[in-house]
Amino acid sequence: MRDEHIISLIENTSLGNLSETDLTVIRAHAQECSNCLRAFEAAQVSLRLLKEHAAVQFEPSPFFHTRVLATLRQRQAGNDAWAFGRLWRAAGALASSMVATVAALAFLTFVIPDRQVATISQASLNPNGYSAEEVILDQAQSEEVSEGQLLTTIYDGDEETR
Amino acid sequence: MEEAAQEVFLKAFTELGSYEGRGSMEGWLTRITTNTCLNLIRSSKRRPELTVSDLTEDQSDWLDKNLTDAATQQHQSSERSLVAADLAGRVLQTMPADDQLVLTMIDGEDASVKDVAEMTGWSESKVKTQAFRARRRMREAVEKLLAGRKGRRALSDARS
Repeated sequence: MRDEHIISLIENTSLGNLSETDLTVIRAHAQECSNCLRAFEAAQVSLRLLKEHAAVQFEPSPFFHTRVLATLRQRQAGNDAWAFGRLWRAAGALASSMVATVAALAFLTFVIPDRQVATISQASLNPNGYSAEEVILDQAQSEEVSEGQLLTTIYDGDEETR
Repeated sequence: MEEAAQEVFLKAFTELGSYEGRGSMEGWLTRITTNTCLNLIRSSKRRPELTVSDLTEDQSDWLDKNLTDAATQQHQSSERSLVAADLAGRVLQTMPADDQLVLTMIDGEDASVKDVAEMTGWSESKVKTQAFRARRRMREAVEKLLAGRKGRRALSDARS
């Protein structure tokens, strides 16, 4: 039997669950093969170690019950504090957003209309402005002047002829 | 151990609302216990490889005694059982958490592959593969320890 087969047989199943036939085959082979003998010995010791490890029973300390309850209370208190902190942060965010909204509304209400009035008045004061009103007024003024000048010229001409 | 037990009690208490009554209560608790223990083992620092020089005198004696008579199932005193359990714990600590779980459950507690699959939520083929690899790792670790003990004994015999 090949070495690898013995080792895979040892590793595939727990040694405690191998059939007596398999164990006989393994033992017979291990007598002739030092590698498999080492592997078989190690597997036996491993199994014994694991059995002893699993057989140990732990007794809880006398204060185990108290400790569990204390930890439970501590965690619950921690959760409450965390929930309050979350609420506080949420309230803070809400208050900040409200302040920002009020500031935006105030800006839109007071600052922007003032700026529009200031722009219009600056435009009317400007002598080089080209607003529609100024153009019309200028045109009217120039027409009046030309009519006056025309009348003056006519009357002046009549007086000269007399 | 107590830390794990405490964590299991706390989780079971806080997550009792999530138990829908579909499976058995025992199965639900076993699943919580398994996951909690796996998480605790994973979060704890894995020990480096265990060598013969790391063993206590009692543990070395235990190995020697079992090496000379590995084939027979000898009755052990409770003290020697504790020594063996401690040694097993030290060897297991050098291995990954999943390996520790399958070895303890299948080889130590004689649980079936199906039981471990239910406990962990793994497939049965994964449990088998994991057990195969874990046995190999455990065997190799123990083989090294045994070889180290044999070497030391041979050296001390030669000196005397």
